[in-house]
Amino acid sequence: MMIKVEKLKKTFGENEVLKDINLDVEKQEVVVVIGPSGSGKSTLLRCINQLETITSGHVFIEGTDISDKNANINKIREDVGMVFQQFNLFPHMTVLDNIMLAPTKVKKVNKDKAKMKAMDLLGKVGLAEKADAYPDSLSGGQKQRIAIARALAMEPKMMLFDEPTSALDPEMVGEVLDVMKQLAEDGMTMVVVTHEMGFAREVGDRVVFMDGGYIVEENEPKKLFEQPQEERTKAFLSKVL
Amino acid sequence: MGVNPLDIIREYLPFLASGTLFTIGFSLGGIIFGTILGLFICFGKRIRNKLLRAPFVCYITFFRGTPLYVQILIIHFGLVPLIFHQSNGILAGVIALSLNEAAYIAEVFRAGIQSIDEGQTEAARSLGMDRFQAMRYVILPQAVRRVLPPMGNEFISLIKDSSLIAAIAAPELTYWAQAMGAQYAIVWTPYLTISFIYLILTLTMSYLVNRLERRMATK
Repeated sequence: MMIKVEKLKKTFGENEVLKDINLDVEKQEVVVVIGPSGSGKSTLLRCINQLETITSGHVFIEGTDISDKNANINKIREDVGMVFQQFNLFPHMTVLDNIMLAPTKVKKVNKDKAKMKAMDLLGKVGLAEKADAYPDSLSGGQKQRIAIARALAMEPKMMLFDEPTSALDPEMVGEVLDVMKQLAEDGMTMVVVTHEMGFAREVGDRVVFMDGGYIVEENEPKKLFEQPQEERTKAFLSKVL
Repeated sequence: MGVNPLDIIREYLPFLASGTLFTIGFSLGGIIFGTILGLFICFGKRIRNKLLRAPFVCYITFFRGTPLYVQILIIHFGLVPLIFHQSNGILAGVIALSLNEAAYIAEVFRAGIQSIDEGQTEAARSLGMDRFQAMRYVILPQAVRRVLPPMGNEFISLIKDSSLIAAIAAPELTYWAQAMGAQYAIVWTPYLTISFIYLILTLTMSYLVNRLERRMATK
């Protein structure tokens, strides 16, 4: 079991965003989380790597309880890559330095090795020629592909995607989804929050539908999309499909 | 008046020259120690624990809320004699300017750090960096670029404010202008002369900050 979420609750002040979440993610599984905005999808993802502190319940990463005060969260995060809606590239660094920063500073990989790895990853996301460019000169789709390469440079065991295509112009969504699809085919364990139902259906091993802070329904993509069991799932799918 | 102003300036030239060097020295001292201490206080003010944060908040409140002139008097007649058992205008001047500058620099840095998007910290932390690494490699380099213009303003203010330490007989520019004015009972010559010198110093400072800004912007 790569990720195990147990009775997770998260409140912001009075507002209870996650009410009782239980979720297991197996090795090499691609779990796609869908649901209306405000349903808690992003918060769930952010709780999984402790960008949000958990109000109650547990999150286990490969068996380690990360909500435990003694857990070394920095060490655990090395294994959990994250891709953000707003890319969050470091604007003061070149593409290459963006990718090399964490491996060289956190893992103390030597520079030559880190550079080789970075160039290799840039090749995989189709942006080798942008190595010396600054993020501001890139399109949204290119930025997101760089962000994926940056996360992969830490050689994570699993990847979290927080609406990776929601800030992109429509014509750039495809190039980012293609990279993610390739990653899934290579056997990466992934949790993807997205509104791209085509991606969920095609790449997902399991689709989780969230609403109002609960997981309402989860199933294989084909079953969830074609024979939803819950009324709320049906209502949501009728709006987005 | 029978005396030619140029002759007086010529007579005082060595003093004006050393006064200028002292003014530059006081300013550089204030800038260097003020920036280092200011950064430290800025991080102190960012501590979440209210009790640990309190001294830093008090520090900023005191040094920004009371006149620099009064601070100079307290440090010169109170603090320095208390520690070193004798007063020393030069030492008191550097201490007063540094402590005062630190309070302003701390606030400039705080604003700069806060202006960097939260997503930058999150991206750094999600890659396994600890708080310190995220600050050191991701947030501070961006913040420094953003605070250069307000820092330049603070440095220029500091150069001008250093004239206040003439009051404790530190031998900087304004001190010598006062001496010159008193000896010959004149006003225009000494004060216009040092005004001109101050202008050269402040313009040089703003030129240097501008150049630094441009150099960092092209990166």
